[in-house]
Amino acid sequence: MEKSLFGFIWRYSARHQIYILLITVLTYPVVYFLLELPKLIVNDAVQGDGFPRIVFGFDFDQIPYLVLLCCIFLGLVVVSNGLKFYLNVYKGRLGESMLRRLRFELFQRVLRFRLPHFRKVSSGEIIPMITSEVEDVGGFIGEAFALPAYQGGMLLVQLGFIFMQDPLLGLAAVAAYPVQGYVIPMLQKKVIRLSRQRVKNIRVIADKVGESINGVAEIHANDAAAWHSADISDRLYENFKIRYEIFNRKFLIKFVNNFMNQLTPFFFYLIGGYLVIEGDLSMGALLAVIAAYKDLAGPWKELLSYYQMTADVGVKYQTVVENFDPIDIRETEQLTSDDAVVLDGDLTFENVSFSGGAAGQELLDVSLTVPAGTMSAVVGPDGSGRTELMQLAAGLVAPSSGKVKIGAHELDRLTDSTLGREIAYVGGAVHVWTGTIRDNLYYGLRHRPLTEPEREGEALKEYKRRVNEAKQTKNPLYDLEAEWEDLELAGVSDLSGLDYKALSLLEAVGLDNDIYRLGLQSRFDPSMNDEFAGEILRVRKTLAERIENEPALGGLVERWNLGTFNASASLAENLFFAVPSDPEITMDEVPELPEVKAFLADTGFDKELQNIGIKIAETMLELFSNVSGDSGLLGAYSFITQDELPEFDRIVRIAKSGQQRPGLTDADRTRLTALAFKLVPARHRLGVMTDDLRDDVIAARKKFLDTVVKSSESFVAFDPNVYLPPLTIEDNLLFGRARVDRRDARRRIDDVIRSIVEETGLRQAIIYAGGDYHVGVAGSKLSASQRRRIALVRGLLKNSKFTIIDDIATGMTEEDRALRASLKDVLSGKTYLYGTSNAEIASEFDHTVVLDQGRISEKG
Amino acid sequence: MSLETEVEALRKVPLFRGIHETKLRLLAFISDRTEYPSGERLCTQGEEGDCAFIILAGNADVLVDTPDGEKRVAQVSENSIVGEIAILCDVPRTATLVAASKMDVLTVSKDDFLKLLKEFPDISLEVMRTLALRLERTTRDLAEARQGAAGG
Repeated sequence: MEKSLFGFIWRYSARHQIYILLITVLTYPVVYFLLELPKLIVNDAVQGDGFPRIVFGFDFDQIPYLVLLCCIFLGLVVVSNGLKFYLNVYKGRLGESMLRRLRFELFQRVLRFRLPHFRKVSSGEIIPMITSEVEDVGGFIGEAFALPAYQGGMLLVQLGFIFMQDPLLGLAAVAAYPVQGYVIPMLQKKVIRLSRQRVKNIRVIADKVGESINGVAEIHANDAAAWHSADISDRLYENFKIRYEIFNRKFLIKFVNNFMNQLTPFFFYLIGGYLVIEGDLSMGALLAVIAAYKDLAGPWKELLSYYQMTADVGVKYQTVVENFDPIDIRETEQLTSDDAVVLDGDLTFENVSFSGGAAGQELLDVSLTVPAGTMSAVVGPDGSGRTELMQLAAGLVAPSSGKVKIGAHELDRLTDSTLGREIAYVGGAVHVWTGTIRDNLYYGLRHRPLTEPEREGEALKEYKRRVNEAKQTKNPLYDLEAEWEDLELAGVSDLSGLDYKALSLLEAVGLDNDIYRLGLQSRFDPSMNDEFAGEILRVRKTLAERIENEPALGGLVERWNLGTFNASASLAENLFFAVPSDPEITMDEVPELPEVKAFLADTGFDKELQNIGIKIAETMLELFSNVSGDSGLLGAYSFITQDELPEFDRIVRIAKSGQQRPGLTDADRTRLTALAFKLVPARHRLGVMTDDLRDDVIAARKKFLDTVVKSSESFVAFDPNVYLPPLTIEDNLLFGRARVDRRDARRRIDDVIRSIVEETGLRQAIIYAGGDYHVGVAGSKLSASQRRRIALVRGLLKNSKFTIIDDIATGMTEEDRALRASLKDVLSGKTYLYGTSNAEIASEFDHTVVLDQGRISEKG
Repeated sequence: MSLETEVEALRKVPLFRGIHETKLRLLAFISDRTEYPSGERLCTQGEEGDCAFIILAGNADVLVDTPDGEKRVAQVSENSIVGEIAILCDVPRTATLVAASKMDVLTVSKDDFLKLLKEFPDISLEVMRTLALRLERTTRDLAEARQGAAGG
């Protein structure tokens, strides 16, 4: 990678830089004429005489001449600004694409780092380097050559003018330059050093903030917040100090420069005045020189700030780039090559040594043969070099001496395109990517884009542009929207085959039930898959029939029925007989929806609901006002939290007093309505649900369906023949509520649903729906065991001949045993290396290797 | 059915006789109101007990395991509390309860009842008094039974 900023700029944008320079030079005459023309207009057209003037062979009288000159002036204004606009856009674009090239290069280098290198660098440091630190480089690139050329040219022209008037004055004009040229870089050097310090300090801050976020539980668990605060605060002070120093120097440079610039006129007046008095120089020439000197200040200032910026950006570039050039960085080829070698044969270690840089991370002279198609256990406690051996076998790290081979191929020589496909590796510390479960399962098959999507019209044009830009900036041309799943590798012919295979593997690792449950709780968009929605509706019907025919079941559920009140559902659901289409809308927001507001006002329910709200609030206040907040009673049973009690106390007092002023605000009314909406009559037996109210609610829901639901998209009605997207799949199946006044109703109904789902073959489809479950940031919404199992399925789906599993399911529990047994089943006939610290397990495998302090102590 | 009727029923339970009405309302509110059709089990002997039942309406048979299968030893009816031993000390259910008719029951979970006791010490006192009375009566019964056995 280019060590210096200018090396980088010149290497990748020389052509563009020259072009910018040419256009810049082109602007010289335009600008010159633009400045000359007003003089001509005033002196010649307005004040001149002896018309007509002859221009290009035509005669012009005074007025037409004036018009002509003014039109030329207007034309030049347009041309000059147009050129400037064009140039600015061109420079900006060049800067952005160079920045893209730089950033991508940096990211690719991160991917090329060898694994042990990541012990030395942290993401908290790398991220700001690639994102914010190089940002300024982009703005600078467009100006890198054009600015000094342009402003330097200006400076030379003006200086030339002065020298032509009088060489002595010329010398006076440049007298201060050598001093400036010496002093300013001296000061700047210090600024550069400080800038480096600042960048590094900021990196440390970023890293510490990142670490605090990752370890936030530890911070609280150890009451270490004060320590971390002090640490960060200290760093911030350091930053302040450096910044302050930089300001001081920067403004000192400005000061020196300004001082020098204004010192020069001193010489002019002194030397020039002397020359005029002596009669060696005319008065007019002196004035012209002084005017020219004033014009020098502009370019000089620009050049100076350019110089400062060059120094600043150059330092930033260097401080970034030096971190991306470790000696042992892998070849780009190893990452990008598409050549895949088929690996076959025994896995052999020939006198392999490896050092991870710390004790307990090394292997010493290990020789070993794992015969093809066998299952071997590598036994060794943590720190015995087991993990290193497994990673060496997967080609993830390279030996410091010796060879790791599969068949005749040395792993270190192979590219990712071979290693990542032919070998499946699942280590103890698995990573689950942010995304859906399915994304994670098929991750191991996404090596290259396979079938590109068909594009036409606008989309095709846009795609071509994207490819073109990528080519120019040496970015990869891979198409993100293509199909990436390598079905052939997985040994299936189409996507549904892949789903089926994934499902069978999920069953093998015992994750199917978890995903089934997630699937039941998930929502899906019926427009994506009509058939599935139809299936769900059929099962809903079957379930309804069973509930009807079995009185024991019937007593556990209250299904949605337009003509009856559902005491196990909230008042809002009863009143609307519909749910908001957006499942994110909470009950507190429902009264604010314009449709709901209008409907409540229309039917007079607004007053009624507010009164119910007041009654509920009153009862809650009466029941809980003497209960202390930390007893936990309030949180679990009331729909009002401890913090809200005083607020509702105020609302109830105002409502009871009946005063018009200050009266209840709209927000208060909304709160009361929301409170009433949340009432589930069978659970909250507050006596507010009278028979009359029930009848009113049932009558009103018909009106709501006719007016709101029919005309607006924001609500979906409970219709037995329609799939309801805002509800979970489970709620769609049940189409009602488990009764809250029956013991274990929910669980018993769940059992019934499960058995019907299994009878009707819907289970697979629901597991499929569960595949769309979003796992949260880095799988945070999954348990550690679920994450490991997902990583296992990911590895197994690749169907590799070599599978290396380290430190997973190593216990003696029933569950771990079962998982090991099914892994053996799935991997029978393949080369399978299993790492564990538990020696008891070894007997389950064909061969065993025991590691102790980096050496093989036993083979069997 | 509202809190008021439940409070009325609670008041008739000897254990809660001396407790102030607002606290009974709170107790009623935090309890689950459940319905049992005839024949359904409220709890089974030997399992862990995590709640007490206050019968608002209907009857339940108390069954005990014997070598010959389950045997009915008693019946509990309206306004009685059963299973309260389980929520005061960690012992498995000593008997099985089966609804003999359609029942209306208030279920108080152990955690909530204990929280309530902590929150309102006068309830604890009342519970203690009732239990002490019961203990006194049991002791007397035992003494009488022993005397009877000795005399007979």
